[in-house]
Amino acid sequence: MKAILITFDQSYTERIIDMLTTNNCRGFSMVEQLQGRGSKTGQPHYGNHAWPSMCSGIITMVDDDKVDIVLEKLHAMDIATEKLGLRAFTWNVEKSI
Amino acid sequence: MSLYESSVKRPIFTALCFVAVVVFGLFSYSKLPIDQLPDIESNTIMVFTYYNGANASDIENNVTRPLENTLNSCTHIKHITSKSSENVSVITLEFEYGHSIDDLTNDVRDKLSMITNSLPDGAGSPIIFKFDTSMMPIMLLSVQAGESQAALYKILDENVVNPLARIPGVGTVSVTGAPQREIYVYCDPAKLEAYNLTIEAIAAMIGQENRSIPGGNLDVGNETYALRVDGEFRDPRDMSSLVVASIGGRNVYLSDVAEIADRTQERAQESYNNGVQGAMMVIQKQTGANTVEICRKVNEALPALQKNLPSDIKIGMIHDGSEDIIQTVNSLAETIAYALLFVVLVVYLFTGRWRATVVVAITIPLSLIASFIYLFVTDGSLNIISLSSLTIAIGMVVDDTIVVLENITTHIERGANPKQAAIHATNEVAVSVMASTMTIFAVFFPLTMMSGMAGVMFKQLGWMMCIIIAISLIVSLTLTPMLCSRMLKLEKKGSRIHTIIYRPIQKALDGLDHAYSRLINKAVRHRKTVVALCLLLFVASLFSASDLKSEFFPSDEQSRISATIYMPINTNTDRSRGVAQELSDLWMKRYADDMVTCNYRVGAADENNTFASMQTNGTHVISFTISLKELGERSISSDDVVAQMRADLNARPEIERFMVVAGGGMSMGSQSSAGFEIYGYDFNETDEVAATLLAAMKNVEGVGEAYISRDNYQPEYEVVFDREKLAQHGLNLSTAATYLRNRIYGATASYFREDGEEYYIKVRYAPEYRTQLEDIENILLYGSGTNAVRVRDVGHLEEVFTPPTIQRKDRQRINTVTCVIAGGAALSDVVEAGQKIIEGMDLPEGVNVQISGDYEDQQESFADMATLALLIIMLVFIVMAAQFESLSLPFIIMFSIPFAFSGVLIALWLTGTSINLMSVLGGIMLIGIVVKNGIVLIDYTGLCRERGMSAVTATVTAARSRLRPVLMTTLTTILGMIPMALSQGQGSAMWRPLGISVIGGLTVSTILTLLLVPTLYCVFQSTGIKKARRKHRKQLELAKFWAENKDQFIHDKTARI
Repeated sequence: MKAILITFDQSYTERIIDMLTTNNCRGFSMVEQLQGRGSKTGQPHYGNHAWPSMCSGIITMVDDDKVDIVLEKLHAMDIATEKLGLRAFTWNVEKSI
Repeated sequence: MSLYESSVKRPIFTALCFVAVVVFGLFSYSKLPIDQLPDIESNTIMVFTYYNGANASDIENNVTRPLENTLNSCTHIKHITSKSSENVSVITLEFEYGHSIDDLTNDVRDKLSMITNSLPDGAGSPIIFKFDTSMMPIMLLSVQAGESQAALYKILDENVVNPLARIPGVGTVSVTGAPQREIYVYCDPAKLEAYNLTIEAIAAMIGQENRSIPGGNLDVGNETYALRVDGEFRDPRDMSSLVVASIGGRNVYLSDVAEIADRTQERAQESYNNGVQGAMMVIQKQTGANTVEICRKVNEALPALQKNLPSDIKIGMIHDGSEDIIQTVNSLAETIAYALLFVVLVVYLFTGRWRATVVVAITIPLSLIASFIYLFVTDGSLNIISLSSLTIAIGMVVDDTIVVLENITTHIERGANPKQAAIHATNEVAVSVMASTMTIFAVFFPLTMMSGMAGVMFKQLGWMMCIIIAISLIVSLTLTPMLCSRMLKLEKKGSRIHTIIYRPIQKALDGLDHAYSRLINKAVRHRKTVVALCLLLFVASLFSASDLKSEFFPSDEQSRISATIYMPINTNTDRSRGVAQELSDLWMKRYADDMVTCNYRVGAADENNTFASMQTNGTHVISFTISLKELGERSISSDDVVAQMRADLNARPEIERFMVVAGGGMSMGSQSSAGFEIYGYDFNETDEVAATLLAAMKNVEGVGEAYISRDNYQPEYEVVFDREKLAQHGLNLSTAATYLRNRIYGATASYFREDGEEYYIKVRYAPEYRTQLEDIENILLYGSGTNAVRVRDVGHLEEVFTPPTIQRKDRQRINTVTCVIAGGAALSDVVEAGQKIIEGMDLPEGVNVQISGDYEDQQESFADMATLALLIIMLVFIVMAAQFESLSLPFIIMFSIPFAFSGVLIALWLTGTSINLMSVLGGIMLIGIVVKNGIVLIDYTGLCRERGMSAVTATVTAARSRLRPVLMTTLTTILGMIPMALSQGQGSAMWRPLGISVIGGLTVSTILTLLLVPTLYCVFQSTGIKKARRKHRKQLELAKFWAENKDQFIHDKTARI
């Protein structure tokens, strides 16, 4: 099991949830309003006057064999519309109940 | 879920909500009546008090003055004017607008009940009369008659008047010019004297003979019969065989001493249409009834009624009140359609996307249609004001939608899917859209609180605009995102045709962006020059203002002209008719191609004619009503016709004075006038001042005609009886006077009844026996003695002049010189010239002159408007300061307002339009419209600053990025107004100044806002930066000082411890 943290421009929301569903990744937790900015490029997402757009974040635990598929799909999405901003990070899940 | 999110996610719900609004809107639209103006509640109450036998000055002292003093304490009163003439006092109370007339009437009634007891004994109780706009005739029909002229009244009364009066909403139908039938018994005074008969005896005899008396019931066998004596005359000729006396056993018949004349009234108003005698019918509506509806029904009924009339009677139309209304409304509807087209075109040009254009095109009619619901609910109507509001609104309702649409497009272009983009993009701009809508509210909401005449006009405009803008805000936050989420998509390369058409436009726009950003780059680096140049332009525009003329209300092209011509007093009807016929021939020949009907009326009207009694009439008065062809079908303007008619009348020395009015004074937009009120007690002094002023004013350029309100002294013959001699012959004054009256005016003996109608039977001297003064002197008076006595033995005739009607205003005697402004001239010039003349005059003590009329209204309304402008500027500032959370930014934006005013002045100057209520209104509306551009610019500049750009870079970037939205919203507003400014249709003159001023103001102000506001922003920013640097330097110095002296401070402190 690995955890994937996906942070993305809010307009990705539906596409990402759809993608997770089609890939049989049922469980996830989501934070709808999230502020943030990219390390190198992209516009900040602060939800204020200067930077009105906002991010959302999804954290999902997936089986190891699905991690690459999900990341690949996310990467494809990011490349297609790179101005929006989409990042994903994974790490191991040590234990769970 | 936010509003926009739920509307995007529930498209059916959203769409159907608006479909419902459209359905209700269209339903309301179908039910809305059409009218000229919004309902104007009357503000005038008249108080009539009769005091028979009193002359003008008695009435003034004993009736008018006490009443005025009491009524003056009524609340909300504006002016009290009064006319005291023989037998009657008429007081007119003018109240401020906006108060319930019923409350005011109650107040007046209370005040009157306090004073009624202290009026003279003979005076009747005061009668209250509410003056109402429904008194104005809505239709004038002409009737031409040939051989039926003698019976015209009866024919019209039965076949036309009664059916028309039955139409719902029709108040009264009066016939003028068709004299009624009367039966005269014309006696020969010599024969009467020979048989020892009197008029009174004959009248009494006729009265006793012409009777039908029931004689009770009679039982014959099993049946009961009613018994009666029916002596009523079957035919007027029956009267000739009446036995009036028996002398020496021989009967004297009525035909021996008198002639029976079955004819029309001796004195009546005559009416001529296009030179042919006939009549005029006047239709007045009931209060609150709809003019257009009534006129439509009357027009429908007329062909059928015409069929029932004898072939020589032709009914024609002189004036149809609904025509102007329908034409005005149609021309406004056309304006709206053009405005819609232009706005859609602009949106397409700037976005280059047909889908976006469709979204905008859907939102416009939606906001407009929804406003019909408001009108329906509040009992409003489709009128000039409500329709013009729609025209004004078209350019503005798209603004919010455009902002939302633009942001959604940006999101989609970034790669978001339309649905998400619609939600998030709307969320981003919602607050700023609301703020810019608030500025528009700040402008139009205060309009709803205006008072006075201007308030009546602009209240509906204010409400309509507020509602339309509110709906457009809701539409832009719900329907627009929904439509965008469905319709917009990332557009691939467009079709070939689109590319061919759009590429040059795209190139031009890109070039404009580039040029503008370079200009701004230069401007922000030469800030002082730019500010100085703008200031120079502002000052220069003020100079053009010195040339501008001012008037109260723009005068409009009219299709009806009325003229009242006064011949010298006592001119008889024949003489007046001759002059009228000559004038009528002259005008009919000259305006043959431009005129529909030329109607004139001469002679004194019957007392029971409702319409005529409201107007001046008399044997010396000629009233013309001329209807011209519709605008566009004629070659001459109504102003020119009026000017030529005035020249014709001036050229005739026999005419004493005249009034020629375009539009008949019944509608807005007729020619304006300046009144010079001369206050003073002494008649001679005020007459003299008025005459001097009148003579001087007639020579002033721009005065079409001028007249004095005070009537001339009226010459009349008075029989002065010697009471002593009367008494010797057993007579008293009233008996003697009654004898006179019966012989000249006639004694009403009885009524002749035929076909359910009653006609007077009047006994009087035959016309040939009452043409000379000797005839009067020879009248025999029978006293209680046996011998009769002639008038000349007990009295004599004197020629006297009765004092004129005494007019008062605000409890002072007044004489007014009214100057009607000729077409093309300005009220302000005439008033100025008048003031100079008055200053040069040597006014007697106790006489003073004040200016009133339209000028007074103008000054009041302009003062109101100025207050309003200040209020609006403050409100707009508050809205902006709240939005930006800053006091300096709104201050910068406010700099676009003066340039809007200079734009207005320049545009008015270039087009030769004068400053009037409508152009001032345009100026006021501009306050809200022009700051919107500033808001867009400054908002984005602030955003760039927050994103970390330097002041100059931020300014240039923002300017470049916001140029298109600013141009787009400005162009939509300007193009929306262009049909209004160019329109030549009926009623357009009223709204043209508004269109011109908005276009001028917005153009100049937008160009300068685009240049000046970024520059000023930089000025303020650089001062801010300098201040910040100074502060920072001081802090550094302090820190340095602290670091250097730290040890010493600490040491000192420890030493103290």
